[in-house]
Amino acid sequence: MKILAVDTTASPVSAALVSDGRLLGEFYLNIKTTHSQTLMPVVSALLEASKTDISDIDVFAVNAGPGSFTGVRIGTASVKGMSMPLDKPCARVSTLEAMAYGMPYRDGVICAVMDARCSQVYNALFRLDNGIVERLTEDRAISIEELARELEYYDEKVYLVGDGAELCSKSFEGKLENTELVPENIRFQHAYGTAMAAVRMINENKLCSSDELMPAYLRLPQAERELKARLEKQKEKDS
Amino acid sequence: MQKFITGSPEETEQLAERLAATLEGTEVIAMYGGLGAGKTAFTRGLARGLGSEDDVSSPTFALVHEYSGKFPVYHFDMYRITSWDDLYTTGFFDYMDSGVMIIEWSENIQDFLPENRIDINIRYISENEREFEIKGAKEI
Repeated sequence: MKILAVDTTASPVSAALVSDGRLLGEFYLNIKTTHSQTLMPVVSALLEASKTDISDIDVFAVNAGPGSFTGVRIGTASVKGMSMPLDKPCARVSTLEAMAYGMPYRDGVICAVMDARCSQVYNALFRLDNGIVERLTEDRAISIEELARELEYYDEKVYLVGDGAELCSKSFEGKLENTELVPENIRFQHAYGTAMAAVRMINENKLCSSDELMPAYLRLPQAERELKARLEKQKEKDS
Repeated sequence: MQKFITGSPEETEQLAERLAATLEGTEVIAMYGGLGAGKTAFTRGLARGLGSEDDVSSPTFALVHEYSGKFPVYHFDMYRITSWDDLYTTGFFDYMDSGVMIIEWSENIQDFLPENRIDINIRYISENEREFEIKGAKEI
């Protein structure tokens, strides 16, 4: 079972080839490139170097969000395009879950955070126990403040990963002493984690067709508040 | 804060060229001022100051124009942007740290601008004269 996984949800771009749970190859660039220009050359270089024909791929996996608006669309659209003519299934992976799978480091709670700007983050919590990843929360968009309040309930070690990890770590300074910023080489999402999250989805029969593959966006608290205010204003007007 | 008075669109462009010379490549420049204030003229001067030969016009419909120069320049018009969702779907946050961002109608997205930025308030004095109040920039 060969999986080709890609990630373009934040500033790095990566592609990984995993066969029966083993990483055969991975290509990772973090040089602020335009993903629409680098993703496909990265994928074809990986396939060529690993002597793999694209028709050998059984499952196409992608971090479908949360993430940057444009990045998420580039990743999902590219995977749609690769899987559709071959009629192969897709794994629509949560970026946050891919981070958890990319860091089978030490037992504890993994707090995956992506910077969503204006003191907001995309976040999900996972528990890692003997290499098994268990999801503790849904993917959500929350303020850093709210996340800090929630983390107070955990006594065990909490590992911060993702491009919002440093931001959170700074904001937690002086409190939440059980949180730890993981080293940079394993802090950010990469396609290996995407492929490993896809393995879980394959086992649980959760793949989708290229038609069904869609970006996953989360509405931020800021947008939620605005929408509520707008609806209330409208209601006032109508009554 | 630095204040300047320009007496013509050409002088506005020259002022912007001087600002351009102080930039490092990833600044966010937020402009405030109504129709005809000189925001587009200022942007034209800025792009030229960064060595761009591209045509500069207000991205009212496209929302963002890109110009290539010493640094990429991303020229936004927020006139029609009124919510977080609108702003997110322009890709605004994806452009951050990858070039100089210069924004018309910043009034509309004030809550979402990064703290570390350059603010330019443009005040109408007369037909040709404008006052520029520039905050957060190096000495021009």
